Amino acid sequence: MANIKPAGVFDTTYEDDMAIDRTRRDKFWKNLAFCALLLVPLLSASGPLGLGLLGDQYIGLIARIAIYVIAVQGLNLLVGYTGQISLGHAAFMGVGAYGSAILARELGFSFWLALPTSALLTGMLGLLFGLPSLRVKGFYLAMATLAAQFIIPWALEYPLAGWTGGTRPLSLPAPMIGPFTPYARDSVSPETPLDFTAGAAFIVDVIAVELTAGAVDSARIDILQPGGAPLPYGDVNMTVTRDAAGNVIALRYIASKAGAYRVQLAGAAEARAEVRRGKALSFATDTAMYYLIVPLAVLLMFLARNLIRTRTGRAFISVRDNDLAAELLGVNVFATKLRAFFLSAVYAGIAGCLLAFERNSISLQMFQLDLSIEMLAMLIIGGAGYPLGALFGVTFIRLLQEAAIPALRPWLSDWLPQLFPFIDAVNITSAINPILFGGALIVFLILEPRGIAHRWELLKAAWKLRPYAY
Amino acid sequence: MLEIIKKYEAQLRWALYALGAALLLLFLADQLAGKKAARILQTLLSGILVGGVYGLVALGIVVINKASGVFNFAHGWMMVVGGMIFWSFFSVSEISLLGAALLATATMLLAMSTASFSRLRQRRTQLLVLGGSLLLTALMTAGGSDWRWLHALSGAFAGAMLTGLAVERFAIRPLIGQPLFTAVLMTLAIAEVLHGVTQIAWGTVELNLPIFVNPATGSRFQPIRLEGLRELLDGLVIVRVELVIAFVLALVAFSGFIIFFRYTSVGLAMRATAEDQQLAQAVGLRVRVILAISWAAAAFLASIAGVLQGGAVGLSLNISLVALRVFPAVLLGGLESISGAFIGGILIGIVEQFGTLINSSQQVGTNLAPYLVLMLVLVLKPEGLFGEKRIERV
Amino acid sequence: MNRFIILCALVLLLGAALPALAQDMLPYPSDLTECEVDLSGETVNIFHFGDLSGPYAFITQPIVSAVSDAVLYWNSHGGVCGAELAQVYEDTGGNLEATQSAYDRFSSEYAEELDLLLLYGSGDGELLREQLAADEIVSFISAGSIESLYGEDGQTPGWLYASNPLYINQFGFFCQFVAANPEIFPDPVIGFVTWPGAFGMAGTGPAARDYCGGLGVPVLAEPQIFLPTDSDILTQVQNAIDSGANILYSNSLASGPALIASTLVDLGMDEDIKLAGVNWVMDTTVGLLGQRVLKANGLPSVDGMFGSMPYLWWTERDNAAVQFVTQQFNANKRSPAEQNIAYLVSWGAVDSIIEATIRTVNRVGSLSAVTGAEMRETVESMDYAVLGGLYQHKIEDGMREGTLNRIAVMKFANATMSGPATGAEDALLIDDGAGGKFFLPLVLPLTEFMPVPQLRG
Repeated sequence: MANIKPAGVFDTTYEDDMAIDRTRRDKFWKNLAFCALLLVPLLSASGPLGLGLLGDQYIGLIARIAIYVIAVQGLNLLVGYTGQISLGHAAFMGVGAYGSAILARELGFSFWLALPTSALLTGMLGLLFGLPSLRVKGFYLAMATLAAQFIIPWALEYPLAGWTGGTRPLSLPAPMIGPFTPYARDSVSPETPLDFTAGAAFIVDVIAVELTAGAVDSARIDILQPGGAPLPYGDVNMTVTRDAAGNVIALRYIASKAGAYRVQLAGAAEARAEVRRGKALSFATDTAMYYLIVPLAVLLMFLARNLIRTRTGRAFISVRDNDLAAELLGVNVFATKLRAFFLSAVYAGIAGCLLAFERNSISLQMFQLDLSIEMLAMLIIGGAGYPLGALFGVTFIRLLQEAAIPALRPWLSDWLPQLFPFIDAVNITSAINPILFGGALIVFLILEPRGIAHRWELLKAAWKLRPYAY
Repeated sequence: MLEIIKKYEAQLRWALYALGAALLLLFLADQLAGKKAARILQTLLSGILVGGVYGLVALGIVVINKASGVFNFAHGWMMVVGGMIFWSFFSVSEISLLGAALLATATMLLAMSTASFSRLRQRRTQLLVLGGSLLLTALMTAGGSDWRWLHALSGAFAGAMLTGLAVERFAIRPLIGQPLFTAVLMTLAIAEVLHGVTQIAWGTVELNLPIFVNPATGSRFQPIRLEGLRELLDGLVIVRVELVIAFVLALVAFSGFIIFFRYTSVGLAMRATAEDQQLAQAVGLRVRVILAISWAAAAFLASIAGVLQGGAVGLSLNISLVALRVFPAVLLGGLESISGAFIGGILIGIVEQFGTLINSSQQVGTNLAPYLVLMLVLVLKPEGLFGEKRIERV
Repeated sequence: MNRFIILCALVLLLGAALPALAQDMLPYPSDLTECEVDLSGETVNIFHFGDLSGPYAFITQPIVSAVSDAVLYWNSHGGVCGAELAQVYEDTGGNLEATQSAYDRFSSEYAEELDLLLLYGSGDGELLREQLAADEIVSFISAGSIESLYGEDGQTPGWLYASNPLYINQFGFFCQFVAANPEIFPDPVIGFVTWPGAFGMAGTGPAARDYCGGLGVPVLAEPQIFLPTDSDILTQVQNAIDSGANILYSNSLASGPALIASTLVDLGMDEDIKLAGVNWVMDTTVGLLGQRVLKANGLPSVDGMFGSMPYLWWTERDNAAVQFVTQQFNANKRSPAEQNIAYLVSWGAVDSIIEATIRTVNRVGSLSAVTGAEMRETVESMDYAVLGGLYQHKIEDGMREGTLNRIAVMKFANATMSGPATGAEDALLIDDGAGGKFFLPLVLPLTEFMPVPQLRG
């Protein structure tokens, strides 16, 4: 049904049969949808046009939906296409998030380098926990991923506490491109501080200060933020370089807020510091992050879609449908499963990394078992084994949580206690979420186990067949 | 080289196992060298006793798995619901007659219509429902607060039946014909719904369930102090009576289920159903009824475990988390093995306690060791200690 | 022993002991600043969100009730300078994803009105810390973590203000108390027996160990961790005792402290080993859950447990604030299970929000001119007895949390209600109506309000 084509369009070559966009109209609609998605931030109040047609919160919401679409698409590759249940996907997201955070904080990686590195790292770990698929399958394999969901957070909390801070949160700077215009060089001495005015949201000032001469031991560089208070060395936007004795010899600061800053030097009179200032493109705002995350999500969705029509993708599906037959056909079942584990973890790692940089703060609380289960539910509701399943599932659950539940709550809190006097209204507020979430999953499992994506395919087919439905 | 490995594969594997075991023993000996004998004995005892409750929880999961092949992720929440229903009858002095009657009638209606709702049209079934509801209601409400044990037990029994039957009827049965994966996901959804329902009905406040109380003193039972062994073991070893009670109850439940599965016709039918549902149906077994019974039995076991756990630490939503700690026990014992569940529970209990003894500042006992055991089991002996080895290509 | 009935009886008892309750409604206890601007026709929103359905819900749930009762009270008494009070809240279920969404929704829908936000969870505070600073929104929190109040380096004060001292400072304060009372604590060694996670581990750390060690109170380096679901923590308690501890300190609540206490009784060591904890261990829940196990003298196992008490408690009935909140609690027919710390302290939070709003409006001239920055200026300069003395709102320069604390001990009332019982013989036993009896928990302060040591390093 899914491959129904308009009348008069026939596949005459293999390439036609395998094409993602079979007709120009398909292509047109997809491109239009993508462009529309890119235009969404322009509608918001804080967007470049300041139209105010859309609440600001929706920009962040769509970006976060996109992050979870990436994660759930990873799960889709493993569960939907290869047929291996995973109950540890949140832990792999955690590895991506913590991996990128540690790379950025401890090794000074930029976001652009931390993203692929941590994704690869997560993929490797995915391989490790996919190894039991050599001996077990089905439900037993799900249990191995459940073990991952406990062992990985444990490892992050205790043995790696030196890097991860245990249960304490880790903060991260926003991603940045540049500085691409190192146009100003100044010198600062204790008598002559440097004043500069930083710009606003998208283009920010990056300032690098380096002690050049004089008493390194006694000199101290300070950056005063608008309002006059000196910035602490632990600020999230500041990178500090120290010499062997622990003295600060250089620092780099991204001025994310607009206003007047001052660089000043304290210490002996002959101390000098060189200051370089440049402009950089910062992704600190929700809108900027939107333009980073959404295209990446679209790209990753496209890559997953494309993967499915390759040799690897067909191997995935053959393992899911009948692993014995697949082996008979020459598919290396074990290697295929491992590949699926790897790719799934890579997607989870990318999503985790994006989440970390979007939040600027991560903690272990964010990657618990309930998130794994929630993502699995999203996939089932959206449609496991459909290219758009992840998109539909995440959007459905998020809309349920963000729109339906807040709307239903006052109404339910009003009449349920009247009906059942022993019920406390406060309890209703907090119980709606699990009930509606579980209820939605039950309804879908019973009535439409193939998910929204299946309905979407049926709808598309009906549209193409109109007006003759048969 | 490869050929040699292949030729001596079995021997090599055993040598590897022996090496691993020896390393583990060496590690344990090193870690436990400084500990007093009393501590080691105490840890072992605590592990066994705590493991008894784990075994009981594991049994509930195994029963459903045995009958239908579904792994029940909702078991933890069935424990909470069971414990809360027991609490409602145990701790409330004035039991609402209407509430009890509603519970009894709903339970009897579902129980009598397990095969199909059309059963309810028969006069005989109607009479049975009426009689059963009256009897259950009477058991739940008759007498004053002196009879609260009876009220609570019959209330919890009805509640567990209702939960188990309703879950099977409205959530699991519609999935017949779907892959098992769907049913497993369904149990996750049921867990969410039970979570919400518990919160609406009982709130999130931690409830006191004083079942392990000595009526004479009003205090929990005094632990047995092994004073006689103090000299010998260089320290005091105590045995907590309520844990012993829980352990004995668990043991009774186990024996009951073993007998039930071996020697009763329903038990045999259950085993047959688990073996092959279609074949069982072909020889005239009522598969639906058998599945319903197994869910009700599992809910009943969950209630017992919930009450025991609630009595030991207080009744709160956190009790559902115990089930997570039991999953390794289920796999260690073997998914289909009743005695395996018990032994797996005890082994995991011991592993947890020794992990805690060695290092409790990093939660090795509770958060790492059981799951490492789980990984080891999956890699070395996926069918578990007592499970059925399946001939299956991976 | 039904907990609800116990608490019902507790409320009744408090009522009986308070003749004032039988009379007219009490006046509002706090000394609010006079309104200089009439706000008639406008609305002052009390914004709050937090975990109402997650792991700590049984503590935090009554916050909603308290805020809604306070809003009701103010609106039926003419409002704040004529303005109507409204409650805007969201449940996040302990899920940071939900917290982020709730914050986005609040800060976008109420972009103008949202200048002050009431939070409960440390995790929420940590997540929103940078965003609150960027959006210039002041936030009140009950007991924040170091990271939420001062950032990761512990040196960067943000826009969150806590009313209770930091957990680590509470612990240092307890060490002071131990060092000053060698007759109660001979040769003290403190061992941590606590829950896992950010809250459980917040009381300890190298700085706290060094500080206490300097006072002559060594603290064991290894904390012993147990889970809220553990039914047997003998191993953890014995680990601590074997390492030399004779004082067990716990960052846990509800069944946590009760379980440690009962384990000590089981071991027969409840006389030798003292038990102590954060402010949450002094909650009524603990006193009632601790009655499952009785000591040799017949009193519940938590009898004699020490803890922090940085605010007044329900039993301190000679205080006007406590009288007033108790009266409101009864008048609104609140479920007895809600009579805990959260209900009491939330009335205080609403009071301090109102006071801060009035002061700011007086300064800037109108409600619409109030900004987060103006609000912050008020909050930092305000030295205010919340609800006339429930606790003191005073933010020292560069600080973000309350600095005054007391040490209290949990006891059980004697038959004449004149003081603590010494044993089962003279203790007050209340019939719970279902054939059982229970002891009435008392929280007795042992010190005056005193500044806590600063240990965040």
